[in-house]
Amino acid sequence: MMNKTYPSFWRANAPVAYFAVIVLTMPFWFPLIGGYPGLDTKILIWAIFAIGFDILLGYMGYLSFGHAAFFGISAYTTGLMLLHYSSEIVPAMLMSVVVTTVAALIIGMLTLRRSGIYFSILTLAFGEMFYSSAVSTLQSWTGGDNGLTGLPTPTLFGSVIKDTDVFYLTAFFAIVAYFTARRIASSPFGLMLRAIKSNQDRLEFTGINVQRYKISGFVVSAIFAAFAGSLMVIYEPYVATEFLHWSTSGKIVIMSVIGGVGTLFGPMIGAAFMLYFENVISVALHEQWLLVLGLIFMAIVIFLPGGFVDGARRVHRKIMGRSAPSGPPAEKGEA
Amino acid sequence: MSDDKILHVSRRGLLKAGAATTLALGTPAFFMKNAWAQDALGNFPVNGPKVMFGFNVPQTGAYADEGADELRAYKLAVKHLNSGGGMLETFKPSSLKGNGVLGKKVDFVVGDTQTNPDAARTSARRMIERDKVIMWGGGSSSSVAIAQQYLAQEVGVIFMCGLTHSNDTTGKDKRRYGFRHFFNAYMTGKALAPVLAKTYGKDRRAFHLTADYSWGHTQYESMKEFTEKQGWTTVGNIMTPLKATDFSQYLTAVINSDADVLVLNHYGKNMVNSLSQAVDFGMRDMIKNGKHMEIVVPLYSRLMAQGAGASKIDGVLGTSGWNWTLQDAGSKVFTKAFEAEYGFPPSQAAQTCYCQTLLYANACEVAGTFYPPEVIKALEGFEFEGMGLSGKTLYRAADHQCFKDILVVRGKGPDKKKGEYDLLEVVEEVPRDVVTYDPKIFGGELGPYKPA
Repeated sequence: MMNKTYPSFWRANAPVAYFAVIVLTMPFWFPLIGGYPGLDTKILIWAIFAIGFDILLGYMGYLSFGHAAFFGISAYTTGLMLLHYSSEIVPAMLMSVVVTTVAALIIGMLTLRRSGIYFSILTLAFGEMFYSSAVSTLQSWTGGDNGLTGLPTPTLFGSVIKDTDVFYLTAFFAIVAYFTARRIASSPFGLMLRAIKSNQDRLEFTGINVQRYKISGFVVSAIFAAFAGSLMVIYEPYVATEFLHWSTSGKIVIMSVIGGVGTLFGPMIGAAFMLYFENVISVALHEQWLLVLGLIFMAIVIFLPGGFVDGARRVHRKIMGRSAPSGPPAEKGEA
Repeated sequence: MSDDKILHVSRRGLLKAGAATTLALGTPAFFMKNAWAQDALGNFPVNGPKVMFGFNVPQTGAYADEGADELRAYKLAVKHLNSGGGMLETFKPSSLKGNGVLGKKVDFVVGDTQTNPDAARTSARRMIERDKVIMWGGGSSSSVAIAQQYLAQEVGVIFMCGLTHSNDTTGKDKRRYGFRHFFNAYMTGKALAPVLAKTYGKDRRAFHLTADYSWGHTQYESMKEFTEKQGWTTVGNIMTPLKATDFSQYLTAVINSDADVLVLNHYGKNMVNSLSQAVDFGMRDMIKNGKHMEIVVPLYSRLMAQGAGASKIDGVLGTSGWNWTLQDAGSKVFTKAFEAEYGFPPSQAAQTCYCQTLLYANACEVAGTFYPPEVIKALEGFEFEGMGLSGKTLYRAADHQCFKDILVVRGKGPDKKKGEYDLLEVVEEVPRDVVTYDPKIFGGELGPYKPA
């Protein structure tokens, strides 16, 4: 089926266009719902992280519990580059992606031999290893518990970028990330990842080098995390040890599950929801906000395993009746 | 497998997309007004009849108790700033009138640091960007305080540190927009070591257990330096993980060594656990080198003493920034107001946060403006009294560290204490001159008055 006709570029990428409009107008509508400049940037950074995570979890079916490692390694690399090399962000970002890719290759080769819970535990162990070396062994480099402090204000081609500039920079990367992820998902490579998810043994028997595809998927996912981690430090020139901590890995899992695993768009919604909740709604709930968040998470896992996106589909189907085009069946919480 | 289909974009499509993106990215720039008018800096100027303060305290996590007490103090400070009372009566020289700050009533917003530098910065940003706070304060951890100080310097909004005891806060990580009223690990060592030598003798052998993060490290270094100056020998030190709850393996190493003093460079739940276990091991009844084994807790707080229990802290020496049983006018009036409001006495965290708020407000009155560089100049080198402790306090210009007397305290046993909150007795008030040091020893730069 190599000569099948592709839908036009615009039709195929209509969701990306909608996404771009939503993102680029964010500074105008976000304050209306209690948001503020700065939080929108952070939401987009986490959205990039979440898309990459969804390629691994939603498409390849591998639950990494140590994804903070890539986010954090990239953040520290950017921080160290800004501190010791130059305040220019281009070399810092490039270096971060390179370092993270190498780290992902090594970790991937070691962990992807196992699947399921063993893979999750292995990645968690790697993540924690990086975290503890950052706070203890490598203290003189990473600033230990205080985080990496004293970074200069980042610059792009000689001019300082902060606040709104960083927002549009991040928005640009978020749109590119979404576009790329959709491309990957609809490509033969994406099909391979889904085949790995459904039955990798069968795939292997057809003579395909599954390990190679798995490592590629893992590295691609880590590269998204690398961009997110690097942007995080450009957004706020400070590296927190938290970025390597398992709670960051946990957060990205929760975001993905809340939003809807395997939908690309869902995890981004999940990221937006989590951060909005943590920073806007938490004010009204005071110290109970974590409890409420926990209840919402449980409710979603129990009653809506496909996350927000699944919820929206169900509502849509209810309204449109049975005749509605059902599209591809929703992938229900296989995480 | 033809992988070239991954990116199946026609050249025309790509050009169109590129043009659309450029247009979309450029559009908002037309609508943006010049946000930074002349002389505006951070959230200055303050518009409207109110001025907003931000209180960013740990509401969840290990230090939530301290955060709650800090918040109580902040609310009390706002009340006193708006309608008089409390330390406004004892604080000298004061320009505060009890009718708000510069004629504007004080309002406040609250955030949760979660004792996590990243969360603290996000929360602080919310208060700065959305709620337009002119100053914010709080926190119960040095890493959180340091992270926020850097943010303060970036955005040009003053941060008044809450509880932070690391030397780094006003040492290598000092910032022009950050101020610390609380004392630090160096002062603890300098104040405590002579009292220890006097009480336990000059030929002691000490073993340290240290919380493995930057505060613990600076605390250990300072304690080692000053006890060795008194003639003590440091036998060993073990860095214990911050999350440790079981210290028995480390305590066993201490028992097996020839040390006769155990120094616990721990704080919060770490200290409650390590001290309790050490006492349960019978370490306080042991005889080593012909002497009674002793335990020292360099940084004490009443909340920790409460956690460990009176029988465990009986006779244990340490330092504290302030204690509600002090009899000077400022402490008495603050404790009275706090008890009247909440029914129990304030902690040292509450006192430092309360003072910081008043000190900031007073600096605005002195400067006659909320313009941050002027307020900073009013705080730098400001000397005052009547905010707890009998002597004068100086906000040193060189590193934004407050210099005041330090309390050496001793835990009160169950038979000596009067009431639930009477856990620490003041052994000595070490004068300010003794604990003053040269700001150069820690390095660091304050940075500019106007952020880049």
